Amino acid sequence: MRIVSWIWINNQDINLSDNHLAFIFPAFTSDYSDHPAQIIPGFNDRFNELLLQASDSIDPGLSGFSFSGQTFPEDELRTQYITYIYSCTISWLLKKGKIFPHITAGYSMGIYAALYDSDAVSFETGLILIKVAYQCLHKSLNNRLFGMGTLIGLNAGDIQSIIDQSSLRVEITNQNAPHSFVVSGYRDDINRIMELAREEGALHTRDLAVSIPYHSGYLKAGAMDFSQQVSHLEILPPETRIISLIDQVTLSTPPLIRQELTRNLFHTLNWLHTMQVMLENNVRQFIECGPSTGLAKNARFVDGVRFSPLPSILP
Amino acid sequence: MTTITENIKNEVKEIVYSFFADECEVDVSQIHDTTSIINDLDGDSLMFLELIEIFKKKYNLDIELKVIGKYAVKHPVSTIGQLIEMQLLIIEHENRLLDLDQ
Repeated sequence: MRIVSWIWINNQDINLSDNHLAFIFPAFTSDYSDHPAQIIPGFNDRFNELLLQASDSIDPGLSGFSFSGQTFPEDELRTQYITYIYSCTISWLLKKGKIFPHITAGYSMGIYAALYDSDAVSFETGLILIKVAYQCLHKSLNNRLFGMGTLIGLNAGDIQSIIDQSSLRVEITNQNAPHSFVVSGYRDDINRIMELAREEGALHTRDLAVSIPYHSGYLKAGAMDFSQQVSHLEILPPETRIISLIDQVTLSTPPLIRQELTRNLFHTLNWLHTMQVMLENNVRQFIECGPSTGLAKNARFVDGVRFSPLPSILP
Repeated sequence: MTTITENIKNEVKEIVYSFFADECEVDVSQIHDTTSIINDLDGDSLMFLELIEIFKKKYNLDIELKVIGKYAVKHPVSTIGQLIEMQLLIIEHENRLLDLDQ
Protein backbone atom coordinates (compact mmCIF):
# COMPACT_ATOMS: atom_id res chain seq x y z
CA MET A 1 0.00 0.00 0.00
CA ARG A 2 1.25 3.43 -0.86
CA ILE A 3 1.98 5.86 1.93
CA VAL A 4 1.20 9.39 0.87
CA SER A 5 1.56 11.90 3.60
CA TRP A 6 4.32 14.08 2.32
CA ILE A 7 3.54 16.21 -0.69
CA TRP A 8 5.47 18.78 -2.65
CA ILE A 9 5.00 20.72 -5.82
CA ASN A 10 6.74 20.93 -9.13
CA ASN A 11 9.06 18.04 -8.27
CA GLN A 12 11.40 20.48 -6.59
CA ASP A 13 14.15 19.13 -4.42
CA ILE A 14 13.09 18.91 -0.81
CA ASN A 15 14.69 21.67 1.18
CA LEU A 16 13.37 22.03 4.68
CA SER A 17 15.26 25.20 5.43
CA ASP A 18 13.60 27.34 2.79
CA ASN A 19 10.66 28.31 4.99
CA HIS A 20 8.10 27.23 2.43
CA LEU A 21 6.70 24.34 4.42
CA ALA A 22 3.08 23.81 5.52
CA PHE A 23 1.71 21.36 8.07
CA ILE A 24 -1.82 20.23 7.32
CA PHE A 25 -3.90 18.42 9.93
CA PRO A 26 -6.64 16.02 8.81
CA ALA A 27 -10.04 15.44 10.39
CA PHE A 28 -10.67 12.30 12.38
CA THR A 29 -10.67 8.73 11.11
CA SER A 30 -11.09 5.31 12.68
CA ASP A 31 -9.17 3.61 9.87
CA TYR A 32 -5.54 3.30 10.85
CA SER A 33 -4.57 0.89 8.08
CA ASP A 34 -2.34 3.50 6.42
CA HIS A 35 -0.69 4.49 9.71
CA PRO A 36 1.96 6.51 7.83
CA ALA A 37 4.00 7.44 10.88
CA GLN A 38 4.53 3.90 12.14
CA ILE A 39 8.10 3.72 10.88
CA ILE A 40 9.14 7.12 12.23
CA PRO A 41 11.69 6.59 15.00
CA GLY A 42 10.20 7.55 18.33
CA PHE A 43 6.61 7.69 17.14
CA ASN A 44 5.30 4.89 19.35
CA ASP A 45 6.96 6.20 22.50
CA ARG A 46 5.62 9.71 22.11
CA PHE A 47 2.18 8.50 21.01
CA ASN A 48 1.88 6.25 24.07
CA GLU A 49 3.04 9.08 26.31
CA LEU A 50 0.32 11.38 24.99
CA LEU A 51 -2.25 8.57 25.05
CA LEU A 52 -1.51 8.01 28.73
CA GLN A 53 -1.78 11.73 29.38
CA ALA A 54 -5.16 11.81 27.63
CA SER A 55 -6.35 8.72 29.49
CA ASP A 56 -5.51 10.37 32.79
CA SER A 57 -6.99 13.76 32.01
CA ILE A 58 -10.01 13.23 29.78
CA ASP A 59 -11.07 9.59 29.24
CA PRO A 60 -9.64 6.51 31.01
CA GLY A 61 -11.05 4.29 28.26
CA LEU A 62 -8.46 5.62 25.82
CA SER A 63 -5.83 3.44 27.45
CA GLY A 64 -7.38 0.47 25.65
CA PHE A 65 -6.49 1.82 22.23
CA SER A 66 -4.43 -0.34 19.90
CA PHE A 67 -3.44 0.14 16.26
CA SER A 68 -3.66 -3.58 15.68
CA GLY A 69 -7.36 -3.92 16.46
CA GLN A 70 -10.53 -2.15 15.46
CA THR A 71 -10.49 0.07 18.51
CA PHE A 72 -13.38 2.54 18.90
CA PRO A 73 -14.59 2.14 15.28
CA GLU A 74 -18.00 3.67 16.00
CA ASP A 75 -17.09 5.98 18.86
CA GLU A 76 -16.81 9.40 17.23
CA LEU A 77 -15.49 11.17 20.31
CA ARG A 78 -12.73 8.67 21.08
CA THR A 79 -11.86 8.53 17.38
CA GLN A 80 -11.36 12.31 17.48
CA TYR A 81 -9.13 12.01 20.53
CA ILE A 82 -6.97 9.34 18.86
CA THR A 83 -6.58 11.33 15.64
CA TYR A 84 -5.68 14.41 17.67
CA ILE A 85 -3.08 12.46 19.67
CA TYR A 86 -1.65 11.03 16.46
CA SER A 87 -1.40 14.47 14.85
CA CYS A 88 0.13 16.03 17.95
CA THR A 89 2.71 13.23 18.03
CA ILE A 90 3.82 13.93 14.45
CA SER A 91 3.89 17.67 15.12
CA TRP A 92 6.09 17.12 18.18
CA LEU A 93 8.45 14.77 16.32
CA LEU A 94 8.83 17.17 13.42
CA LYS A 95 9.70 20.02 15.74
CA LYS A 96 12.10 17.81 17.61
CA GLY A 97 13.75 17.18 14.25
CA LYS A 98 13.95 20.99 13.73
CA ILE A 99 11.29 20.94 11.05
CA PHE A 100 8.99 23.93 11.48
CA PRO A 101 6.07 25.06 9.32
CA HIS A 102 5.74 28.41 7.61
CA ILE A 103 1.97 28.02 7.77
CA THR A 104 -0.55 25.50 9.14
CA ALA A 105 -4.16 24.57 8.48
CA GLY A 106 -6.48 22.16 10.24
CA TYR A 107 -9.00 20.40 8.05
CA SER A 108 -12.37 20.28 9.82
CA MET A 109 -11.77 18.90 13.33
CA GLY A 110 -8.05 18.98 12.54
CA ILE A 111 -8.18 22.58 13.77
CA TYR A 112 -7.43 21.45 17.34
CA ALA A 113 -4.16 19.78 16.36
CA ALA A 114 -3.22 22.82 14.25
CA LEU A 115 -3.73 25.02 17.32
CA TYR A 116 -1.61 22.68 19.43
CA ASP A 117 1.09 22.73 16.76
CA SER A 118 1.19 26.52 16.81
CA ASP A 119 1.33 26.60 20.63
CA ALA A 120 -1.99 28.47 20.77
CA VAL A 121 -3.42 25.75 23.02
CA SER A 122 -1.88 23.13 25.26
CA PHE A 123 -2.33 19.43 24.56
CA GLU A 124 -4.85 19.19 27.39
CA THR A 125 -6.82 22.23 26.22
CA GLY A 126 -7.11 20.65 22.78
CA LEU A 127 -8.62 17.55 24.37
CA ILE A 128 -11.13 19.65 26.31
CA LEU A 129 -12.11 21.59 23.16
CA ILE A 130 -12.78 18.29 21.36
CA LYS A 131 -14.84 16.93 24.22
CA VAL A 132 -16.94 20.05 24.79
CA ALA A 133 -17.57 20.54 21.07
CA TYR A 134 -18.75 16.96 20.66
CA GLN A 135 -20.99 17.10 23.73
CA CYS A 136 -22.56 20.46 22.84
CA LEU A 137 -23.21 19.48 19.23
CA HIS A 138 -24.54 16.05 20.13
CA LYS A 139 -26.90 17.53 22.71
CA SER A 140 -28.18 20.18 20.31
CA LEU A 141 -29.31 17.54 17.79
CA ASN A 142 -31.95 16.22 20.20
CA ASN A 143 -31.61 12.60 19.09
CA ARG A 144 -32.39 13.47 15.47
CA LEU A 145 -30.36 11.43 12.99
CA PHE A 146 -27.82 13.27 10.86
CA GLY A 147 -24.87 12.36 8.67
CA MET A 148 -22.33 13.47 6.10
CA GLY A 149 -21.17 12.25 2.70
CA THR A 150 -18.76 13.01 -0.11
CA LEU A 151 -19.79 13.38 -3.73
CA ILE A 152 -17.18 13.13 -6.49
CA GLY A 153 -17.68 14.06 -10.13
CA LEU A 154 -20.39 16.73 -9.93
CA ASN A 155 -19.98 20.49 -9.59
CA ALA A 156 -21.53 22.66 -6.88
CA GLY A 157 -24.36 23.76 -9.18
CA ASP A 158 -25.32 20.16 -9.95
CA ILE A 159 -25.39 19.28 -6.27
CA GLN A 160 -27.35 22.36 -5.26
CA SER A 161 -29.90 21.57 -7.99
CA ILE A 162 -30.39 18.09 -6.56
CA ILE A 163 -30.87 19.57 -3.09
CA ASP A 164 -33.35 22.17 -4.30
CA GLN A 165 -35.33 19.95 -6.63
CA SER A 166 -35.85 17.26 -4.00
CA SER A 167 -36.13 19.69 -1.05
CA LEU A 168 -33.42 17.82 0.80
CA ARG A 169 -32.38 18.96 4.26
CA VAL A 170 -28.73 18.91 3.20
CA GLU A 171 -26.04 21.55 2.80
CA ILE A 172 -22.82 21.59 0.80
CA THR A 173 -20.30 22.05 3.61
CA ASN A 174 -16.88 21.75 2.01
CA GLN A 175 -15.14 21.69 -1.34
CA ASN A 176 -12.15 19.37 -1.35
CA ALA A 177 -11.26 19.61 -5.05
CA PRO A 178 -12.82 21.04 -8.21
CA HIS A 179 -15.25 18.10 -8.43
CA SER A 180 -15.22 16.79 -4.88
CA PHE A 181 -17.66 18.06 -2.27
CA VAL A 182 -18.79 17.23 1.25
CA VAL A 183 -22.45 17.41 2.23
CA SER A 184 -24.01 17.43 5.70
CA GLY A 185 -27.61 17.05 6.78
CA TYR A 186 -30.39 14.77 7.95
CA ARG A 187 -29.51 11.07 7.76
CA ASP A 188 -32.35 10.12 5.41
CA ASP A 189 -31.57 12.99 3.08
CA ILE A 190 -27.85 12.19 3.04
CA ASN A 191 -28.76 8.68 1.90
CA ARG A 192 -31.08 10.16 -0.71
CA ILE A 193 -28.60 12.69 -2.09
CA MET A 194 -26.02 9.95 -2.59
CA GLU A 195 -28.54 7.95 -4.64
CA LEU A 196 -29.59 10.98 -6.65
CA ALA A 197 -26.00 12.08 -7.22
CA ARG A 198 -25.14 8.68 -8.73
CA GLU A 199 -28.15 8.98 -11.04
CA GLU A 200 -27.01 12.49 -11.99
CA GLY A 201 -23.55 11.18 -12.93
CA ALA A 202 -21.39 11.33 -9.80
CA LEU A 203 -18.39 9.07 -10.28
CA HIS A 204 -18.31 8.14 -6.62
CA THR A 205 -20.25 8.77 -3.42
CA ARG A 206 -19.27 7.84 0.10
CA ASP A 207 -21.04 7.91 3.43
CA LEU A 208 -18.71 9.45 5.98
CA ALA A 209 -20.32 7.41 8.78
CA VAL A 210 -20.62 10.22 11.29
CA SER A 211 -23.66 11.23 13.32
CA ILE A 212 -22.99 14.97 13.50
CA PRO A 213 -23.50 17.19 10.41
CA TYR A 214 -20.29 19.18 10.87
CA HIS A 215 -19.97 22.61 9.27
CA SER A 216 -23.71 22.94 8.63
CA GLY A 217 -26.20 25.47 9.91
CA TYR A 218 -27.91 22.69 11.85
CA LEU A 219 -25.16 23.07 14.43
CA LYS A 220 -25.38 26.79 15.09
CA ALA A 221 -27.14 26.47 18.46
CA GLY A 222 -24.72 23.80 19.62
CA ALA A 223 -21.78 25.92 18.48
CA MET A 224 -23.01 28.89 20.53
CA ASP A 225 -23.28 26.66 23.59
CA PHE A 226 -19.72 25.45 22.93
CA SER A 227 -18.50 29.04 22.66
CA GLN A 228 -19.82 29.85 26.13
CA GLN A 229 -18.52 26.69 27.73
CA VAL A 230 -14.94 27.13 26.50
CA SER A 231 -14.70 30.88 27.08
CA HIS A 232 -12.56 30.35 30.19
CA LEU A 233 -9.94 28.19 28.44
CA GLU A 234 -6.55 29.71 27.81
CA ILE A 235 -5.73 30.48 24.19
CA LEU A 236 -2.40 32.12 23.36
CA PRO A 237 -1.22 34.03 20.29
CA PRO A 238 -0.05 31.38 17.81
CA GLU A 239 3.67 30.98 17.23
CA THR A 240 3.12 30.03 13.59
CA ARG A 241 0.65 31.25 11.04
CA ILE A 242 -2.69 29.39 11.05
CA ILE A 243 -5.04 29.88 8.14
CA SER A 244 -8.85 29.76 8.36
CA LEU A 245 -10.69 27.24 6.21
CA ILE A 246 -13.73 29.50 6.18
CA ASP A 247 -12.35 32.72 4.73
CA GLN A 248 -8.63 31.92 4.49
CA VAL A 249 -7.62 34.80 6.80
CA THR A 250 -4.72 34.39 9.22
CA LEU A 251 -5.83 33.53 12.75
CA SER A 252 -3.29 35.76 14.42
CA THR A 253 -4.90 36.54 17.79
CA PRO A 254 -6.72 34.64 20.55
CA PRO A 255 -10.06 36.41 19.81
CA LEU A 256 -9.82 35.41 16.15
CA ILE A 257 -9.05 31.84 17.18
CA ARG A 258 -12.00 31.74 19.58
CA GLN A 259 -14.27 33.01 16.83
CA GLU A 260 -12.89 30.43 14.42
CA LEU A 261 -13.34 27.57 16.86
CA THR A 262 -17.04 28.36 17.04
CA ARG A 263 -17.58 29.13 13.35
CA ASN A 264 -15.69 26.02 12.32
CA LEU A 265 -18.48 23.90 13.80
CA PHE A 266 -21.39 25.34 11.82
CA HIS A 267 -19.93 27.26 8.88
CA THR A 268 -19.14 26.03 5.37
CA LEU A 269 -15.44 25.36 4.70
CA ASN A 270 -13.42 25.44 1.50
CA TRP A 271 -10.36 23.20 1.63
CA LEU A 272 -9.52 23.62 -2.05
CA HIS A 273 -9.36 27.39 -1.70
CA THR A 274 -7.31 27.04 1.48
CA MET A 275 -4.72 24.92 -0.35
CA GLN A 276 -4.66 27.44 -3.20
CA VAL A 277 -4.13 30.34 -0.79
CA MET A 278 -1.24 28.48 0.87
CA LEU A 279 0.34 27.98 -2.54
CA GLU A 280 -0.13 31.68 -3.32
CA ASN A 281 1.71 32.36 -0.05
CA ASN A 282 4.73 30.53 -1.44
CA VAL A 283 4.18 27.23 0.32
CA ARG A 284 6.12 24.69 -1.70
CA GLN A 285 5.98 21.64 0.54
CA PHE A 286 3.21 20.13 2.65
CA ILE A 287 3.23 17.54 5.39
CA GLU A 288 -0.02 15.81 6.28
CA CYS A 289 0.22 15.26 10.02
CA GLY A 290 -2.24 12.47 10.74
CA PRO A 291 -3.15 8.80 10.58
CA SER A 292 -4.82 8.94 7.19
CA THR A 293 -3.55 9.94 3.76
CA GLY A 294 -6.76 11.58 2.58
CA LEU A 295 -5.49 15.14 2.24
CA ALA A 296 -2.43 13.99 0.31
CA LYS A 297 -4.55 11.90 -2.05
CA ASN A 298 -6.93 14.77 -2.56
CA ALA A 299 -4.06 17.18 -3.23
CA ARG A 300 -3.45 15.65 -6.66
CA PHE A 301 -6.30 17.86 -7.91
CA VAL A 302 -4.64 21.06 -6.81
CA ASP A 303 -2.61 22.31 -9.76
CA GLY A 304 1.03 21.32 -9.61
CA VAL A 305 0.94 19.32 -6.39
CA ARG A 306 2.59 15.93 -6.16
CA PHE A 307 3.29 13.83 -3.12
CA SER A 308 5.60 11.23 -1.58
CA PRO A 309 5.82 9.37 1.74
CA LEU A 310 6.20 11.23 5.01
CA PRO A 311 8.92 9.14 6.68
CA SER A 312 11.44 9.90 3.96
CA ILE A 313 12.06 13.39 5.32
CA LEU A 314 12.71 12.52 8.91
CA PRO A 315 16.17 11.94 10.33
CA MET B 1 -15.47 13.25 -32.97
CA THR B 2 -11.92 11.89 -32.91
CA THR B 3 -11.04 8.94 -35.08
CA ILE B 4 -9.32 6.35 -32.96
CA THR B 5 -6.11 5.28 -34.69
CA GLU B 6 -3.67 2.57 -33.69
CA ASN B 7 -1.39 5.35 -32.59
CA ILE B 8 -4.00 6.73 -30.18
CA LYS B 9 -4.81 3.25 -28.88
CA ASN B 10 -1.16 2.63 -28.09
CA GLU B 11 -0.75 6.05 -26.54
CA VAL B 12 -3.80 5.62 -24.27
CA LYS B 13 -2.64 2.18 -23.19
CA GLU B 14 0.82 3.47 -22.38
CA ILE B 15 -0.54 6.41 -20.37
CA VAL B 16 -2.93 4.21 -18.38
CA TYR B 17 -0.27 1.60 -17.63
CA SER B 18 2.36 4.11 -16.56
CA PHE B 19 -0.21 6.12 -14.56
CA PHE B 20 -1.19 3.10 -12.43
CA ALA B 21 2.39 1.91 -12.14
CA ASP B 22 3.33 5.31 -10.75
CA GLU B 23 0.26 5.87 -8.55
CA CYS B 24 0.18 2.37 -7.13
CA GLU B 25 3.94 1.93 -6.93
CA VAL B 26 4.08 -1.30 -8.89
CA ASP B 27 6.32 -2.26 -11.78
CA VAL B 28 4.58 -1.66 -15.09
CA SER B 29 5.39 -5.26 -16.06
CA GLN B 30 2.98 -6.40 -13.35
CA ILE B 31 0.06 -4.59 -14.96
CA HIS B 32 -2.04 -6.31 -17.64
CA ASP B 33 -5.37 -5.69 -19.29
CA THR B 34 -6.96 -8.19 -16.90
CA THR B 35 -5.51 -6.55 -13.78
CA SER B 36 -8.23 -5.51 -11.33
CA ILE B 37 -7.92 -1.82 -10.50
CA ILE B 38 -9.32 -2.15 -7.00
CA ASN B 39 -8.37 -5.69 -5.96
CA ASP B 40 -4.91 -5.90 -7.51
CA LEU B 41 -3.76 -2.27 -7.49
CA ASP B 42 -5.68 -0.80 -4.56
CA GLY B 43 -6.91 1.92 -6.91
CA ASP B 44 -9.69 4.36 -6.10
CA SER B 45 -12.18 6.69 -7.70
CA LEU B 46 -9.87 9.69 -7.32
CA MET B 47 -7.35 7.94 -9.56
CA PHE B 48 -10.06 7.39 -12.16
CA LEU B 49 -10.97 11.07 -11.95
CA GLU B 50 -7.33 12.13 -12.28
CA LEU B 51 -6.89 9.94 -15.33
CA ILE B 52 -9.94 11.49 -16.96
CA GLU B 53 -8.48 14.93 -16.34
CA ILE B 54 -5.19 13.84 -17.96
CA PHE B 55 -7.00 12.73 -21.12
CA LYS B 56 -9.25 15.79 -21.15
CA LYS B 57 -6.16 17.99 -21.27
CA LYS B 58 -4.17 15.82 -23.65
CA TYR B 59 -6.88 15.48 -26.28
CA ASN B 60 -8.66 18.77 -25.50
CA LEU B 61 -11.89 16.90 -24.87
CA ASP B 62 -15.29 18.51 -24.53
CA ILE B 63 -16.93 16.22 -22.00
CA GLU B 64 -18.64 16.73 -18.67
CA LEU B 65 -17.66 14.42 -15.85
CA LYS B 66 -21.29 13.64 -15.13
CA VAL B 67 -21.68 12.26 -18.67
CA ILE B 68 -18.88 9.82 -17.88
CA GLY B 69 -20.48 9.08 -14.51
CA LYS B 70 -23.83 8.25 -16.09
CA TYR B 71 -22.13 6.01 -18.65
CA ALA B 72 -20.05 4.31 -15.95
CA VAL B 73 -23.15 3.40 -13.94
CA LYS B 74 -24.40 1.32 -16.89
CA HIS B 75 -20.94 0.13 -17.93
CA PRO B 76 -18.90 -0.34 -14.76
CA VAL B 77 -15.17 -0.69 -15.12
CA SER B 78 -13.13 -3.07 -13.00
CA THR B 79 -10.03 -3.95 -15.03
CA ILE B 80 -7.27 -1.98 -16.72
CA GLY B 81 -8.42 -3.25 -20.12
CA GLN B 82 -12.00 -2.09 -19.52
CA LEU B 83 -10.71 1.28 -18.39
CA ILE B 84 -8.67 1.69 -21.56
CA GLU B 85 -11.73 0.79 -23.66
CA MET B 86 -13.78 3.40 -21.82
CA GLN B 87 -11.10 6.06 -22.23
CA LEU B 88 -11.03 5.39 -25.97
CA LEU B 89 -14.82 5.77 -26.14
CA ILE B 90 -14.59 9.03 -24.18
CA ILE B 91 -11.96 10.36 -26.59
CA GLU B 92 -13.99 9.26 -29.59
CA HIS B 93 -17.46 10.39 -28.53
CA GLU B 94 -16.89 13.09 -25.87
CA ASN B 95 -20.23 14.54 -24.70
CA ARG B 96 -22.09 12.21 -27.07
CA LEU B 97 -20.93 9.20 -25.07
CA LEU B 98 -24.44 8.47 -23.81
CA ASP B 99 -25.74 8.28 -27.38
CA LEU B 100 -24.01 4.90 -27.57
CA ASP B 101 -26.75 3.49 -25.33
CA GLN B 102 -29.59 4.69 -27.51
